[in-house]
Amino acid sequence: MGEVRFGQAINLALDESLKNDPSVVVFGEDIARPGGPFGVTRGLLEKYGELRVRDTPISEATIVSAAVGAAMSGLKPVVEIMFMDFITIAMDGLVNQAAKARFMFGGQCSVPMVLRTPHGGGVNAGPQHSQCLEAWFAHVPGLKVVIPSNSGDAYGLLKAAIADPDPVIFVENKALYAVKGQMDDDAPALEIGKAHIARPGADVTVVSYGAAVNTALRAADTLAQSGIELEVIDLRSIQPWDEATVLASLSRTHRLIVLHEAVTAFGVGAEIAARMADVGFDELDAPIVRVGAPFMPVPFAASLEPQYLPDADDLIAAVHKVLA
Amino acid sequence: MTSNSRERLLGLFERMLLVRECELKLAELFSDGEVPGFIHLSVGQEAVAIGVMDALNDSDTIASNHRGHGHAIAKGVDLDSFFLEVMGKEEGICGGRGGSMHVADMSVGMLGANGIVGAGIPLAVGSALAHQVQQNNNIAVAFFGDGALAEGVLHESFNIASLWKLPILFVCENNGWSEFSPTSLQFVAEVRDLGKAFKIPFRQVDGNNITAVADASDEIVSDMRKNGGPRVLECMTKRVHGHYEGDQQKYRDADELASLGDYDPIMLCEGELRKMKAADKDITAIRNRIENRVSAAADVGRAGTLPSFDRLLSDVYTPVQEA
Amino acid sequence: MPQISDLVMPKLGLTMTEGTISEWVVSPGDSFSSGDLVLVVETDKIANEIEAPADGTLHDVIVQVGETVPVGTVLARWDVGTAGTPEPVPVATPPSGPVAVNSGATSDVLDAKPASAISVDGARVIATPLARRIAGLEGVDLHKVSGTGPKGRIKAEDVRKAKQAAPVATERAIPIEHATSGTRLTPTTYQASVAKRLTEAKRDTPHFYLSTEADVGALLDIRKQLNAANADLRVSINHLILAAVGRTLADMPAANRIWSNGEIVQYETADVGIAVTTDAGLFAPVVRDIGASGLGHVATSAREIVSRARDGSLRPEDMQGGATTVSNAGMYDVTYMGSIISPGQSSILGVGSIRKTFRPDDNGLPVLCQEMGLVLSCDHRIFDGVGGLAFLNALKDYLETPFRLLA
Repeated sequence: MGEVRFGQAINLALDESLKNDPSVVVFGEDIARPGGPFGVTRGLLEKYGELRVRDTPISEATIVSAAVGAAMSGLKPVVEIMFMDFITIAMDGLVNQAAKARFMFGGQCSVPMVLRTPHGGGVNAGPQHSQCLEAWFAHVPGLKVVIPSNSGDAYGLLKAAIADPDPVIFVENKALYAVKGQMDDDAPALEIGKAHIARPGADVTVVSYGAAVNTALRAADTLAQSGIELEVIDLRSIQPWDEATVLASLSRTHRLIVLHEAVTAFGVGAEIAARMADVGFDELDAPIVRVGAPFMPVPFAASLEPQYLPDADDLIAAVHKVLA
Repeated sequence: MTSNSRERLLGLFERMLLVRECELKLAELFSDGEVPGFIHLSVGQEAVAIGVMDALNDSDTIASNHRGHGHAIAKGVDLDSFFLEVMGKEEGICGGRGGSMHVADMSVGMLGANGIVGAGIPLAVGSALAHQVQQNNNIAVAFFGDGALAEGVLHESFNIASLWKLPILFVCENNGWSEFSPTSLQFVAEVRDLGKAFKIPFRQVDGNNITAVADASDEIVSDMRKNGGPRVLECMTKRVHGHYEGDQQKYRDADELASLGDYDPIMLCEGELRKMKAADKDITAIRNRIENRVSAAADVGRAGTLPSFDRLLSDVYTPVQEA
Repeated sequence: MPQISDLVMPKLGLTMTEGTISEWVVSPGDSFSSGDLVLVVETDKIANEIEAPADGTLHDVIVQVGETVPVGTVLARWDVGTAGTPEPVPVATPPSGPVAVNSGATSDVLDAKPASAISVDGARVIATPLARRIAGLEGVDLHKVSGTGPKGRIKAEDVRKAKQAAPVATERAIPIEHATSGTRLTPTTYQASVAKRLTEAKRDTPHFYLSTEADVGALLDIRKQLNAANADLRVSINHLILAAVGRTLADMPAANRIWSNGEIVQYETADVGIAVTTDAGLFAPVVRDIGASGLGHVATSAREIVSRARDGSLRPEDMQGGATTVSNAGMYDVTYMGSIISPGQSSILGVGSIRKTFRPDDNGLPVLCQEMGLVLSCDHRIFDGVGGLAFLNALKDYLETPFRLLA
């Protein structure tokens, strides 16, 4: 298949899932006739009809809760929340219903639904269209949170998410939609909860996910010129996350940085740092450092947003800190 | 008055009585400290659960609310499992994980009571969507009180159900109270007008009259199976107990409380049965049967084992072998 | 929001391991600006004025005046910046390294990282978890490891280096008879410091000694002629010896090396220390780059630094570097003087008094000669016996054919 854009890879995974499993349905705001705000669901309505591919009204709470009810009644809904910021309106469906149904009903049912949603800044979308809120969902027992960094992973992970019996929040960084990446013709579904070593290196482990993995890889290229080798781990999913792979890497490099676009405070990096400080304590030869966004809403102005977003330079500074 | 209709009413009477006896038994167990947490009883509203459910098949689905014992029992949840659950026992229908507000039984299409007001409504919308996609001619029912009328998801759900012509019956059990406040002080619209606004056929019945509820439900559900689309059924009823057990209801007028007996659906039904010349011994036999059944279920509940913490983590996510 | 940061005992030289607080110029609660004098730290060598690395307010003082603590020890805490100034960059950390020193210094001082965060009384060792684990496995005592990480933190690499450098033999405790009579005097900071440094130097540096005599008749003549020709020159015998050592070092780079933390450091310039006795004690300031200098320059530089040693105005960098020192006891009556190598150097030349003696000439007839006893103490990690002899003999050649020093 060769080079495929991130958005196209998601479209392909949806297409194949609709084709292979009649219980899969896709719905969300403007995803059917208009093909989605980023064109990700283009063509699915024409192929699979309006019974299974539907535009919804602008009713996020009901979109998500209806997906839960449908999943409890035999469907595998894949719903879209147009921007992750809008998920605030749909929290009950996710947190009180989807996440808890299996547990509080004593294992009688699973909730095989996927919620796709774009996060991230970089397009001057402002404070209510740019947030990375994934840590909220990773904090809720019962939800899974998957965040791909490239086309091939997006395809493999979305197929896995749709096949998964539990509710999965599938987060797509909107800055990635147009990015091309390699994708094999017969790419298999990937295992949720298994990290990928995106670049091996001996000196410092950098754990990341989503678009920030690419930031880490750029920093790694720069640092390699001065003889510093980063090991970049792409978590692929943050709930569950691959503790074993991170610990094994830390045991090789003895230095750990967690990089994400989300606000640093109380974020995914905090959990990883705390866990590794516990299980990996005797491997540490430097403090664990987090690199993320400052504690503020995402600013809009073209001159401000780049300063807000963590970049390769921020990571390089952190690398020098842990190597001091 | 055919003997058929008398037999039917005797059946409805017996099922209402089952719900009533369960609720009263739970009130007793609760005050004895044998039910943990808190419970919301549907005493006085039995005709709605029994009347609507009389029109449903096992494969139809319902989403209930915090006052959901009647819905669960009416939909066919096993009585022993129900008591075990509400009493927090390992053998409960949900393994003691949910309790009163989360009784569910997927095998009879009971998608769960709910601790969040209004939250069951969009779940039922999703279930109706599944029926529509699967084209199985089943319907979904959302039970909610008038307190949920002010929740946003109700309005979204009415809209989507109408837009997509979903097979969903919205049942509003209007008991006039939104928790501790009169709904008249909380909500300005009429359910009738909401139905009209969202272009959903609406019907209002006396929710304490079991025959009225059952007949209306039969007609509505048959019509839905034939013609598709959503319906709204408003059942005017009375809440006899407090919002939850232990609520002294000091916010309610004494005269109102004193008059509640006049609306008791079971008493009204019994009067109807006597008018239909039902035999005293038949009614007494029903009373005895139900009392014994409920008493036995409560004993099973008491004898249940306390749940073990060990297995809990394995049910947060679907275990791999089941996946 | 102000950020609280640590102020640590700075490392003010390659060999500094501890320092004494002699004055807190700023009190808790006082604000200061970058560059303001904050405290004075006394080392065995010199008093150092320590400047604030940035604007801030002194929060609390942990180490009081008169206390001696290892390099890297937290001396005080201070609020960095002023209220309402947030950290602009998320990964930025407040300054936490050693404070700046008030004068221009060698790169060693500017880059100084606190060497160790342990105190002699067995207080907390600051080490990474991995360093602790390795130390445990390898049997390395972290109290004896110098940390090169931030705030003197011991890292895994430091433990590995210490392990390589450490002698295999285990120390055996030797019972010491403690004096039971006599009056007990508390040593001054300076005395305690000298005692500690020299004990360490003698214990940790494997010394060996080579001695010979140099015939300095020609050297005395040439000195007389030089000073007669130019009264301002005032060349001393010691200046000539310094020049000879400088030339020898320039000729023999292998002698211009020191052993440092398991590594060999090759110096590029011929810097030579001069042992100077003053009222405040013994100092060894260094005369710079005299491998090819004229005698006039050597004399001027030496005079200048000795006078600063005597009037107490030596700067920390005056003590830095140099692989060797000249310790001249010629003004007293001594034939041979075997000296302890200064910490951080690899040799020291002990110079005795000039004595007249008869030596047989080529025909066996007695000739009156003027001779000076030389003892070269060598660090065996840098010199082997042959290397030490080569150095001493080359030096002797310069002293006996002093016209070469004029070239």
